[in-house]
Amino acid sequence: MKTVTLDINQKTCVLEVRDSELLIETLRDRLGLLGTKYSCLEGDCGACTVLLDGNNVLSCLILTLEAEGRKITTIEGMSPGGELHPVQQAFIDAGAVQCGFCTPGMVLASKALLDKNSHPDKEDIVRALDGNLCRCTGYVRIVEAVTAAAKAMEKTS
Amino acid sequence: MAILKDFQYHAPESVDEALDLLRRSGKPVLLAGGTFVLNTLKKAVAYPTDVIALRKIKALQGIADTGEGISIGAMTLLSDIASSPLIRERASVLARAAACVATTPLRHMGTIGGNVASRFFWVDLPAALVAVGAKVEWAAGSGKKVLDIEKFLALKGPDAKGILVRFLIAEKHPVGEYFRHTQAMEVDLPLAALAFAARKQADGLKDVRLVVNTALSPVVRLKSVESLFENTKTSRLKEKEAAAALRRDLEGGKLDDYRLQCLCGDMEALVERLKRAKT
Ligand SMILES: Cc1cc2nc3c(=O)[nH]c(=O)nc-3n(C[C@H](O)[C@H](O)[C@H](O)COP(=O)(O)OP(=O)(O)OC[C@H]3O[C@@H](n4cnc5c(N)ncnc54)[C@H](O)[C@@H]3O)c2cc1C
Ligand code: FES
Ligand code: FES
Repeated sequence: MKTVTLDINQKTCVLEVRDSELLIETLRDRLGLLGTKYSCLEGDCGACTVLLDGNNVLSCLILTLEAEGRKITTIEGMSPGGELHPVQQAFIDAGAVQCGFCTPGMVLASKALLDKNSHPDKEDIVRALDGNLCRCTGYVRIVEAVTAAAKAMEKTS
Repeated sequence: MAILKDFQYHAPESVDEALDLLRRSGKPVLLAGGTFVLNTLKKAVAYPTDVIALRKIKALQGIADTGEGISIGAMTLLSDIASSPLIRERASVLARAAACVATTPLRHMGTIGGNVASRFFWVDLPAALVAVGAKVEWAAGSGKKVLDIEKFLALKGPDAKGILVRFLIAEKHPVGEYFRHTQAMEVDLPLAALAFAARKQADGLKDVRLVVNTALSPVVRLKSVESLFENTKTSRLKEKEAAAALRRDLEGGKLDDYRLQCLCGDMEALVERLKRAKT
């Protein structure tokens, strides 16, 4: 066991963790941040996506101890005051959510893209979401949602 | 239930400290981005006692212009290699290959060192690194040395135990192309790939290197195609001639028809692109 200090959704958490504990286990099972999903656990699906220093990464392939000193954002950190982030609003408006299982990962991957590239074209969006699988929507509405979110974010900036 | 069984995690701050841990631990494993290691541990039968993380070692980090060439720390992320202006300008095939590895989140986690040190035949970067004539700085029990990437890739058994510190690319290869085939989707693992690097001068191509990854055996240099291209003006290159030379180069390798056809198609596409390119 080791003591680790984590910066999760702009809050500092000091925890005792097993050396072999994965970040997904810490987030879900200790901290109750259930928006991060268990799924393939092999890096294929993106359901466990979180942001690490602004980049979308897979929490099923990161040891919790490796996340020390980095800024971790989960889907719960996207709307701190309860107000939806423009990406979340765009997913609702475009009907880009069906069962919702992939949605936290999709939203976080989209945020990571839009924070770096405020005018993405369709190809940029498809590429940025290439690590996130969706079994329901067929992706068309998801791409539309990210395009709409980019426009909404441009207006508010 | 815990996903991974227990081990001791260490995060040394220097190469020497990491080498010392490697020597002293029962069954150690080095951890870079973890995209291979942690996946393997979920299924591993031979489990490590110690995981030695490399993230705190400064010597393994960063992309720099050394004056004599480019230095790329082994812990550099694939996404940083793909987007680096320096690498795009001087070793564009490497930037292109890095951009093809896996998916966006895996490129945000996986490192160049982990890619090459995994020693799997199918990974993307070795072909590109051979194409730009890279060398590696390698730290092992016997000391530190600089090796040609091809020599490094051929190390086996105890000789292959050590720490990749950085990659060194001395020559400029501004012209670069990377062709890659997968079974189904673009993000799948490569089945075959072709890496090309060269300089272009008024009197023809220089320092041409063509390397094939068949995903089945170590990467292969296409010596006949290289000599066909060297000092030749791109307008004089011929698609069919280049594909025939590629077949000659791969003759002894017992390559299946599908892969061979893919690579011949790539060779023809490469010649076409080179002829079309203005600069
Ligand atoms: C779903 C999925 C898809 C993938 N697709 C591709 C693909 O298309 N193309 C591709 O090339 N790869 C692919 N990979 C493999 C992998 O993600 C990459 O090759 C990545 O670059 C590995 O780097 P890493 O830092 O994560 O390595 P790690 O997992 O940390 O390490 C890999 C190996 O290298 C050793 N090692 C790491 N760093 C060093 C060092 N500095 N010195 C000595 N030894 C070291 C480790 O001990 C381990 O044996 C895929 C992986 C997954 C999970
Ligand atoms: S659960 Fe992590 S990628 Fe599928
Ligand atoms: S909405 Fe069901 S998996 Fe995407």
